[in-house]
Amino acid sequence: MRTIAPGGDHVDLMTINLGPSHPATHGTLRLFAALDGENVIAAVGEMGYLHRGFEKMIEQGTYQQVLPYTDRLNYCSAMMNNIGFCKSVEKMFGITPPERCIRLRVVLLELSRIIDHLVCICTNLVDLGALTNFWYFFNTREEVYTIWEKLCGARLTNTVTRIGGMYRDAYPGFADDVRRVLGRVEHAVAEVRGLIEHNKIFIDRTKDICPISAEQAVAWGWTGPCLRACGVDRDLRKDEPYYGYEEYQFDTVIGTSGDTFDRMMVRMLEILESVSITRQALDKLKPGPVNTTDARLSLPDRQRVYHDMEALINSFKLIYEGVRPPAGECYDAIEAANGELGFLIVSDGGTNPYRIKVRPPCFTQWAAFPGMMEGAMVPDLAAALGSINIIAGELDR
Amino acid sequence: MSAAAPATPTSPYRLAIQPGKSIEELKTALIERFAATVDPADRWDLTLLVSRDRLHEAAAFLRDDLALRFDVLLDVIGIDYLSFPDHRAERFAVTYLFKSTVFRHRLKLKVRLDEDDATIASLTDLYPIAEWHERETWDQFGIVFAGHPNLKRLLNHHEFQGHPLRKDYPCQKRQKLSLNDPMLDQLEARLKAKGYQVVSAANGSAQTGAGA
Repeated sequence: MRTIAPGGDHVDLMTINLGPSHPATHGTLRLFAALDGENVIAAVGEMGYLHRGFEKMIEQGTYQQVLPYTDRLNYCSAMMNNIGFCKSVEKMFGITPPERCIRLRVVLLELSRIIDHLVCICTNLVDLGALTNFWYFFNTREEVYTIWEKLCGARLTNTVTRIGGMYRDAYPGFADDVRRVLGRVEHAVAEVRGLIEHNKIFIDRTKDICPISAEQAVAWGWTGPCLRACGVDRDLRKDEPYYGYEEYQFDTVIGTSGDTFDRMMVRMLEILESVSITRQALDKLKPGPVNTTDARLSLPDRQRVYHDMEALINSFKLIYEGVRPPAGECYDAIEAANGELGFLIVSDGGTNPYRIKVRPPCFTQWAAFPGMMEGAMVPDLAAALGSINIIAGELDR
Repeated sequence: MSAAAPATPTSPYRLAIQPGKSIEELKTALIERFAATVDPADRWDLTLLVSRDRLHEAAAFLRDDLALRFDVLLDVIGIDYLSFPDHRAERFAVTYLFKSTVFRHRLKLKVRLDEDDATIASLTDLYPIAEWHERETWDQFGIVFAGHPNLKRLLNHHEFQGHPLRKDYPCQKRQKLSLNDPMLDQLEARLKAKGYQVVSAANGSAQTGAGA
């Protein structure tokens, strides 16, 4: 592309497509960039390669049938989407699940956050050529997936919650398994930190690379660890606590400069905070029911169904029709691994959702990304793209 | 890092979040000023219905007022009420989701739009992220955002016909889509914005920008 630069010089820029299928994009994302040598002069981004009409599909089924689709949003931490969706519907019903369910959900949320961060950091390090760390983190992640498998039979797409409770209670020995894995997570984080934190190559590749200021990040609607890396001390778990997060002792991790290094290290240290929250939640985990007894949501006891006409009708209506949230429009959000994951639900009082809009946290990061990489070099781009953790499943829906 | 980081006392983002306005206080601050009404559909939080002529003004006020500081536009949500039971008002609505990084409060603004004239002012000059949210809403619902710099499809293919989240778009409908969007126009606009003057777009293999 022949251009005249602002200084008046004739410059030949090379236009190049990075993606949609590129090893460094970790998903189907497309960047179209104008390069001067290895420097990115201008870039524009495109998305939608993994768009499967999530919001149209879920209007066709019942509320319970939405749940398996939510697994496919952020597939690195599928349970967070399950819990976020159920929490939004539960807000419409005005119910809170039983205490044991909430504690279990906190354990699952924080373990999901841990594995999401593990994947983000280690694949990012692979992009930088640091392959060793990948095995430290992926082995640990694998152990969490073993727990998932024991818990619900599925590894990646769990569908573990139900509206008003859980698919089922945790298996005996769940807490011990989790505690053992938490120790492994801490060990892996210590190993990786030892390898990278004072590593000159790593620091040169990430410090002051593709920074974004706090003001810009807020204007671009960023949330979550990427926003905190810019020095904005905001976390829904602290600011608008839900599920008793105010009872847990933990710190929000914030960065200073909003560069690639800070984004990675914020995630790294958040893993340790999540380990601490998970331990506290396990300590508070008491035996009890995991499903609400609200007849609008929960199947009646089997014995009652066989002997009581009302219970039989209740069971029949819930299975053949589904739950009916009150008509209205309701938004609710949780702090997912990537930021604020919200669901706006429009209900017409029927059994099918009239409209559900997902607010995917990485949408805003991807929107700002082409502007961030202008002025950077092509190899920096891979590092920066990994650090904002774009998950195409939730980006494109 | 959190402990070692040098505190910048001027930044409001370092301070703990402050208690925000309650729903009642938000109502008194906004309803008269923008001739808004409370949307009865939102029985859980606060949604204010504003007319589309007042939307831009209201959003600017929300962002800049020192007692409100709604500096984050979380989402722009289109809704098609075509098959909503007993719906008498306009067919479309656009809901804007705001929150603040300074105060602990949230607000939704909702604008109803007629099917024949589904046009609304763009908020891109106030919130840069609005550019992407509005592209998605245009793509899915066909709502036009006047003043938007680049109102192209976002999630669907650029050859796609129709707006799939409209209730009268059949969910099984198939479309044949072939060529990639070259995106050269967007890149040239971006280069122009940075002071470059494009003489010729041709350069060897990448000139179509497609191929991928």
